[in-house]
Amino acid sequence: MSFGVAAPLALLLSAALALPVLAHMARQVPRDRQAFGAMLLLQRVVKRLKRRRRVKDLPLLLVRLLALVALVLAATGLDLTYPGGVPEYGGSGRVVLVVDRSMSMGAVRGGLGIADGEIASSTLLQEATARATETLRQLPDAVQVGLVFYDDQAVKLTSELTTDRGRLEAALQGLTPTYGGSDLRGALLEARRLLGGEPGEVLLFSDEAGPEQVRAAQSEIAALVEQGSSVLPQRVFVDPPRNVALLAATYGDGLEGGQVRFRAMNYGPDPMELPCEVTLPDGANIRVFADLPPMGEGEEGITIPNEAQGGVGEVRCEDPDLPLDDARYFHLPRVGASRVLVVDGDPGDTPIRSEVYFLERALAPWGGLQSGLTLDVTPPAGLLELDAEEHRVVFLANVADPRPYGPRLVDFVRRGGAVVISGGDNVTADRYNAALGAILPARLRLPRAIASVDEEGVPLTLPDAQEDLFAPFRRSGRQGFTRVKAHTVLTFDELVEDDDTRVLMRWDNGLPALVERRVGAGRVLVWTTSVDMGWSDLPLQAVFMPMMQRMVGVLGGDAGSRALRIDGVVGRRVEVPLPDLNVDPRVLGPQGEEQPSRIEGSTLVFTPERPGAFEVQLASGPSLAWVAVNTLPEESDVRAGMSVEAVERDLDPELLTQRVDLARPLWALGLLAMVLQALLQLRRPEGHTGGEP
Amino acid sequence: MATAPAGTEATAVWDAETLARVRHLHLRARTLTDALLMGEHRSRRVGQAIEFADYQEYLPGMDLRGLDWRVWGRSDRLVVKRFETETELPCTVVLDLSGDLATGTEGSHSVRPDLEGSKAGYALVLAATLLYFLHRHGEPVGLEIVAGDGVPHTSLPPRGGRNHLQLLFLLLASVRPGGVAKLREALVRVGSRVRRRSWVALVSDGMEEPGAWLPALSAFARRGADLRFFHVYDPREWRLGFQQPALFYSPETGEELAVDPAGAQQAFEEVAREYVDEVRGGVVRFGGRYLPVPTDRELAEIVQAAILDDVRVGRRGR
Repeated sequence: MSFGVAAPLALLLSAALALPVLAHMARQVPRDRQAFGAMLLLQRVVKRLKRRRRVKDLPLLLVRLLALVALVLAATGLDLTYPGGVPEYGGSGRVVLVVDRSMSMGAVRGGLGIADGEIASSTLLQEATARATETLRQLPDAVQVGLVFYDDQAVKLTSELTTDRGRLEAALQGLTPTYGGSDLRGALLEARRLLGGEPGEVLLFSDEAGPEQVRAAQSEIAALVEQGSSVLPQRVFVDPPRNVALLAATYGDGLEGGQVRFRAMNYGPDPMELPCEVTLPDGANIRVFADLPPMGEGEEGITIPNEAQGGVGEVRCEDPDLPLDDARYFHLPRVGASRVLVVDGDPGDTPIRSEVYFLERALAPWGGLQSGLTLDVTPPAGLLELDAEEHRVVFLANVADPRPYGPRLVDFVRRGGAVVISGGDNVTADRYNAALGAILPARLRLPRAIASVDEEGVPLTLPDAQEDLFAPFRRSGRQGFTRVKAHTVLTFDELVEDDDTRVLMRWDNGLPALVERRVGAGRVLVWTTSVDMGWSDLPLQAVFMPMMQRMVGVLGGDAGSRALRIDGVVGRRVEVPLPDLNVDPRVLGPQGEEQPSRIEGSTLVFTPERPGAFEVQLASGPSLAWVAVNTLPEESDVRAGMSVEAVERDLDPELLTQRVDLARPLWALGLLAMVLQALLQLRRPEGHTGGEP
Repeated sequence: MATAPAGTEATAVWDAETLARVRHLHLRARTLTDALLMGEHRSRRVGQAIEFADYQEYLPGMDLRGLDWRVWGRSDRLVVKRFETETELPCTVVLDLSGDLATGTEGSHSVRPDLEGSKAGYALVLAATLLYFLHRHGEPVGLEIVAGDGVPHTSLPPRGGRNHLQLLFLLLASVRPGGVAKLREALVRVGSRVRRRSWVALVSDGMEEPGAWLPALSAFARRGADLRFFHVYDPREWRLGFQQPALFYSPETGEELAVDPAGAQQAFEEVAREYVDEVRGGVVRFGGRYLPVPTDRELAEIVQAAILDDVRVGRRGR
């Protein structure tokens, strides 16, 4: 709202506002002087009378001021301009109704919640369609009307404006909120196209929620205003906004089983304690309560059992205000029960000279009951029976000659398996290079003594805590690696680090200690010294057990599952790379229903319309990919962002405003106030001056 | 010509007019006092007034004149009679002669033509009468002048003798109202130096914030003084009995206020009543006695009603 002045110079009259105040304050000072010996009493009398006087004369002063203010403002030709002054629609003869059906329009006024899986009746979209229908019915018959509704995509019902109100009304009645975002810009573009460059009115029925919806549409609003049209916002919203949204859910593994942590945001003004449920891919449910401050975030977590099936899990928090965004989907790798095949290349005559002895105690103490690992030990010949579906990690412990099993191991890695190679007296570089050269980080060279046996040995350097392998040691325990000392190590010939090949740990003399190479979905780790007491004291150190378990956990978790893990967003294209053009993939939705998809080159493309776990399957094979599809977090932000009205006011301050001439009523008010003050003056008592003349 | 007595800090010159005023003042005070003392013939200060108290066993070295021979004759015991000697009652008149006392319309006692009709003129005669009366009563008298103008000193502690009384009268005859009383400081100062268990008459208009100076009366209470507050006021002033609006000003502070008396008289009377209640309550709270002294009232009535009976019995009560 703003005031305008037709005659600014008349504002000079405002100086006259001081006159009544001065008149009120004016006092006639008597000429006679009188010595008086009781001034103390006289002061008290004057104070007392002044208090009475203030109460008595204030209305008169106010009326005097009111009279002058009104007259001065009337003389200036004051007018009042306020927004929203567009009482009737259809004046332009061309009207486009734009209705927002994005997810946030599914908000329920009063938080009625859902019943029997159906959204309660009073959603914002239903209010919007009701208002749009009412507006449609009130438009003059000759007005041509178009209808555009939008979520992620804008859809116009007719290719051009029409007078067929029945069709538009039926379309409005059929609208339901989707899980999609808010492409207001696209909707206004469609509206502009419907108007065909002619001036018209675009009635926008939306909550205008979210930080970006209107901001992104500024250019389109400007284009409409430029062509002489106006966007007339018919905002429907819940005040104050209320919604709890799940912003993220992720699985992070640790030494003692992984955790799923999820982050929720409370957009409402009250603190919330929501019951949430985490559903794992195997159907297991874990309940947790989330405490959320008003207008703030909260984070909760649940610990995944030692054994859990990989796939897409769901976190769901019951929120009565906007049920559509109550779930969040996350990828969960297969957890626990990693079947590790330890190939015993050197049984050893005593336990301390047996790699298997130490590995068994590190990886599967108490028979694997606590770690969730299943350890199979086999002589090298057992590799002939290597089954990628059964084992996810193969540990070559001081195996002398892997050449008979080389092709099988290479295939195992390429199909997503993981191989860990440790050093030892039996390891022969040439045989390994010959058998596993395709997957080794570099060609192995002969073992090298870096310290004599009777010396202390060369210690490890501190590993990089940012490495996923060492993540559990970020807070503590990393120093334990520096206590591991070795006197003999395997070395490499021209080891070059790149995206696939990395040195994860080094000895203090700079030689590599742990080297990784990624081969497709699989991985190969080379531990350059032994895992028994032959070349190092690793088994005696505190980091031995957690390091081995972490190594197997990472390899078994990530590398063990060959299915791709892809994150998707409702309404956005999901692209799944295909390994072979001769496959026949299909996409299954959250309920197992087949989704429309197509192949573009070597990529499978589909657009999910709802959140959930989508699975890409080959016609007769295992899962090719898991797609965790979620809603846009921005769409859950139901708070009002930039308003369309504000954008238009910036573009054209006169738009969406109405002007009222205030001069005439001000003249009347001024005259009335003058009469009133005259009456008050007449009623003023004789001794009104109190003590002062 | 006469000079100020020894013990004062400065020297003053008394001219013939002043001496005439002294005579006039003395005459006026004596007239009033004679009227007050009419019928009382016994002087309280004849000889050494002593009263028997008790006996004490004689000890070697005691004055043999105190031996009671009759007791010795009857009981063969040597005892000495002991006596209580009556104390004098030092009296101090504290006279406020600040500028505001120069105003007034109803005090007409023709003692000082320059102060005719003023509260100060009335207060001077009252002070002189009190001093003369107490002197005649045989008490040492002193004078403390608060504010005032034209005198070299303001404090004369209680003493007996005609010369001292004459000096007090000289002081009263020459002082003029003026200056600011600063009652609080003045009362604290005087109260700290009056003799213990003395009689004090405070003659003042009390025209300063009572909340400020009334607590200073505690100085008199602490010294056991018998305080009388003679509250001098002009009844016309306290009625705001003026006809025309005027710029009223205080001779003491110079402050001015433009007031229309017609519209303020009622409020003024309310305020005056509240003020008197406040002052009376404060004086009584500190063990004093409040005595209103309107200047249109006969002075003899004031003194008679206020102090005569009190002083007559005062000494016996001590």
